[in-house]
Order: sequence, then structure tokens, then C-alpha cells
Amino acid sequence: MRKILLGTTAVVSAVVGAAVMAPQASAQEAPTVRIGGFFRSYYGYTNQTSSLSNQGSGLPLNVAGATENLPANSPTGGTGGGVPGNNIARLGKHDISTDAGIDVIVNGKLANGLTYGATIALNTGGLEGRQVVGRRSSTGKGTVQVDEMYAFIAHPRFGQVRFGDEDGVMGGLMNSGWVQGFGTGGVHGSWESFVTRQGNGRTTTAPGGLGDASKIIYMSPQFFGFDFGASYAPNANGGRDQGCPNDASSGFCDRAYAFTGARNFGIYAAGPEQAARRNEYQAAVRWRGNMAGVGIAATAGYIGAGAANDMTFSGTQVRVFNNLNIWQVGVQGSYAGFTLGANYTRGDYNFFWGNTLRGDRPAEQIVVGGQYVAGPITVGANFTTGVFEGQNRDTFVDTGTALTRTRTATVGSSGLNTPANSNGLSSMRRWGMGIGANYRLAPGMDLIAEYVHYSVREQGRDLDPNRFGVQSRSFSNVFLTGVRLAF
Amino acid sequence: MKHPARTTLLLGLSLSLTVLAACSSGRQVRNDEYGTDSARELALRQTGAASSSGIVVFGVDRSREQAAQAAAGGGGMTVNAFLWRATLDTLSFMPLASADPFGGVIITDWYSPPQADGERFKATAYVIGRQLRSDGVRVQVFRQVSRGNQWVDAPASTATNSEMEDRVLSRARELRSQSAGR
Repeated sequence: MRKILLGTTAVVSAVVGAAVMAPQASAQEAPTVRIGGFFRSYYGYTNQTSSLSNQGSGLPLNVAGATENLPANSPTGGTGGGVPGNNIARLGKHDISTDAGIDVIVNGKLANGLTYGATIALNTGGLEGRQVVGRRSSTGKGTVQVDEMYAFIAHPRFGQVRFGDEDGVMGGLMNSGWVQGFGTGGVHGSWESFVTRQGNGRTTTAPGGLGDASKIIYMSPQFFGFDFGASYAPNANGGRDQGCPNDASSGFCDRAYAFTGARNFGIYAAGPEQAARRNEYQAAVRWRGNMAGVGIAATAGYIGAGAANDMTFSGTQVRVFNNLNIWQVGVQGSYAGFTLGANYTRGDYNFFWGNTLRGDRPAEQIVVGGQYVAGPITVGANFTTGVFEGQNRDTFVDTGTALTRTRTATVGSSGLNTPANSNGLSSMRRWGMGIGANYRLAPGMDLIAEYVHYSVREQGRDLDPNRFGVQSRSFSNVFLTGVRLAF
Repeated sequence: MKHPARTTLLLGLSLSLTVLAACSSGRQVRNDEYGTDSARELALRQTGAASSSGIVVFGVDRSREQAAQAAAGGGGMTVNAFLWRATLDTLSFMPLASADPFGGVIITDWYSPPQADGERFKATAYVIGRQLRSDGVRVQVFRQVSRGNQWVDAPASTATNSEMEDRVLSRARELRSQSAGR
């Protein structure tokens, strides 16, 4: 028996070994370690609504010791007195935004054709803003942090496996139809660096927004123009440790499937590493080929995920979120320097690729774009429009003994307005367009100019709470110009 | 885990697709054919700079060599570089009439060695194929002798051709062993 077993194993390994290894013989390459990076600096002129708010989070902002704030606005001048409607922090229009990153890239190749490597990307864009209240517990905006870190093993016949903190197959690796290879990316580009988060007017719903949660990714070789891939992430977080600050199950715990206040984290908490998303899986099929001289790429894919339960009362877990359930199709074509692309996404997700609350509407989004490359000059434009779960709708409220679904009747702050939301559901409509151009000064170095308009609209919800009345629309206009260097 | 069935299904599907992938031969998808969220990589792709830019801090950067070769000949030399170089070295004592690295042909001019007055030689060498093999080079030596005022063809010793080939092969071996440590 033992002999047979050994014999069988030997035969199998011989067959597999011969089939897998023999035809792929190629020159072995010792691993190389490469250091590259990028730097960019843009001047931006920003014209946005919601530039009059005072404290958004309610935490003191402005006074050393963090004990005071501007009083809230009210028709009578607010609790601190003063002129009605004048208790505001003002934002100017000019800024310069710089960012840099260093990548460490390892690549190697074995004699049997297997290639392997790792990428560790460090960048300085990890911290969006600060508050005085976190005086010595927060870091500066220039702090370097790890963005992506992953390793890969690829074989000509079996395809590639990536593992680590990296985007999934539908989170940017295999998508088609997102045309953003001009300017800084048009409506999905760097304009966001200049706009404050008030009124939710800062975030577009692009593939990279799904995040680099620690995951495992498989991507196949290409057969008859088709390749496919799948990825799985156990939760929304990355990094080394499990994230639990102590033995309590909190939203920061990677493995928590229920935690107190989960209902608040369909969207990532301000800053990364706390979201209710669990067991995220993505699958994609892509076709690339040439039709009458036009290069075509098309992708269809799916993103699914569960969500952590809310556990506000002991012994009670409440399922407050819909599962993530997203379909996306996209196609793009290139001919003689022109690239045109379009993309359609539909399913249960909010504008931040998060889980929607139970009972809320699904989202849908269309993105179209085009660009043209002529020598050192690239010009392009893109446009996005979508309808998403609104914020002014039924929600789960802690009544002291249970989580109860409650109608949101009051919006705005300071009791300035109380429009009723009669059906308990709401939609947020978001659209934006960007137009941009690059001039390539040298390989890797671009001069860039770009203009982006972005708009958020939600009936009955006040998107600029510190102005009188209900502003159910917010918008941003950003013109930026500057230089970018990658090496 | 909230949806073990779905996850298992997905893993199963991936595995079966992997097996399928192994059965027929596909084309390997390069890393630069996937999308990326890296600001560096995006900028490099957008500006047409190779993603092999940057500073190599460890190891030897083969990609630049390959790029240089590709630029020089649209895919590099079509014959083995060691054999080609060795043949040139070996025949360098004679004046060169023509050398075609793509066809692999080297033709020398007539040459009269100082110790053999009234006798001259010409050689034609063919380097064949990309592999470094003992039959990858063929050398044909022609001989003429002076009769009165005229050069007249005369047979060269048959051993000369194979001796020249052996010299080329041993020189190629030297060149290869010198470059192995790179």
C-alpha cells in the first residue's frame, strides 16, 4: 500500500512537475529592490458652499486647551450673543496642497518562470485634519503612513496571487470604463484635497474608495482575451494587529461581528479602520481585445459583503445593515490617441461604498469619460452622476432599552428649520464633472491644470446648517494647477 | 462569518477556475495591465515613463538592459551574443569585409600572413541560432596561392575549418563564464 501510495505520489509529482515547470524554463533573475516615489504640489482656487460652518463635530476646535468654541448660530444671535447668523468660521479660497510618497518595490524571477515580489507604499496623505482637542494624541498632516503593502506570486500558467493591503479586483485592479488618465484624474482627482467635508461634498464613489483592507486576491492568466479574478477580505481593516484596544468588542476590532454603535459605521468613521463591513468578496471578468483597430476593454463584476450587527444592549444583536450587493459593468475603447469609457454600477451601497441601513434604497451611478493624447499633451474630461441612500431618513435610535427605527423629522442645527420627511426614505443625488490637461515636461514630470465641479443634492436635508433656511444643495468648484513628478 | 455558504462557494469557484487555468495555456497578465491606486504608478503610466524607473538599491536592473537591446534591434540580436562576439574576436586578426549580426554572417577580406609569403586566406563564418551550442557556428576558410602574377584558388586543409570553430567555441565559453558573475 505504502509502495503504491509513494509510487502514485511520485507519478503525480512527475506529471505535475513536468507539465508545470518544464515548458516555462526561462532565465532566472535575482531579486531587485527598487525605490521610487512621487511628489506633487498644486495651487487650488476653491469656491464651495458650506464654507461658513462652525464646529462640525461638536468638539472644541479653536482655543488652546480646547475648552471653547464659537456658539451655534441662531436667529437671536446664539447662546454667546453677537450678531444673528454671524457665529461662523470662515474659509478662504486659496491654498497650496503638497503630497509625496515613497514606494519600495521588490521583484524577482525563478528559472521555472515564477515571478514574485512585494510593494510597500508610504505616503504623507494619511491625515486629513486635526483638532485642538487631540493636542498630543494626533500627528501632523505630513506624517508618513503605509498606504498599500502586498506581496505577489505569479506564474505564467496559474495566474497571480496577491496578499496584503491592496485593492480588490473590482476595487480598481480589473475595472474598465473609468477614464481618469488626464490632469489629476478629473472628477476623481486631487480636487478633494482642497474641499472641506461639510455637506458630504468631498467624496466621489470611485473604485479606489473601497479601500485596501487586508485581503487575498487571485487573478488568472488571459484566455481568448478573457481574464478573471476574485478577492476576499475578512473585514474592512488593514495592518498588522487585530485592532482591539482591550478585551471589549469595539468597532476597531477586526474580528468583531457585533459591537456597540455599529449602526453609525456604514461609512468609515472619520479616519480609517472603523467600518461595519465584514466578509467582503469581489469577482471580476474582463475581456480585452482589438476590434477593427479599436482597443476594447470590458469588465463585469460583483462586490458583496456582510456587516457587523449592532449590540447596544447586552444580549441583543440587531441587524441594522443591508449586505453590500453591487454589480458593475464598464467598457472603454481606444483609437489613435482617443480613449472613451463608460461605467454603470447598481446595488446596495452608499456613496462611500459602505453598507446601507435596512430599508434604504439601492444606489446607481453612471460614469463617462474621454481623453486624447497628442505627443506630450493630454486633455480629457469625465462626468459622474448617481443616486444614493440619503442621510435624512429613518434611522435606528437608542431608546434606552432597544434600538428603534425612528423617523428623522428635524434637520439642520439650532432648530432653525424642521422640515418633515414624510415617507422616511430619502435619496441623495450627486453629480460632478472634471476637465483637465497635462503637459509632459519630462518623462515622469507633468504640468497640470484642471477644473472640477461637484454637486450634492438632497431634498429636505440641510447641507449647510449654519446658513438660515434649508440649503438642500451643496457644491464645490475647484480650479487647480501645479506640478507632479513620479520617479 | 455571516455567510459561510457564499464564501465557500467563492473559494470553490476560485479553485476550480485555477485548475481550469492550469489545463490550457493562457497568456500571463503583466502587473502593469492591472489598475492601480498608487499615485506613483498612476503618474508613471500617465506620463509614459516606465514603471521600472526609480533607483535600484539591491540587485541588477535587467529591465534597462532589455530595453536597450530592444531599442537597438527591435527585439535584440537574432543570434547568440557570446558566439557572435567570440567569432569576431577569433577572426579579428584578419581584415573584416562585412558583418551582419542579424543574419549572423561575418566575411573577412583576403589576408596574407607575414610568415607565409605567396599565400592568402579569406574566412566566412556563420553564427546560427540564439542558443550557445557547439554546432552554433560554422567557419569556412578559403586559400589562394600566388602563381606568377595571379592568385589561384588552392584547397585549404580540412582541419583548419574545425580548428577555427573550436577556437570560436572556447572563446565563447570564456566570455560566458566572465559574464556569469554579473
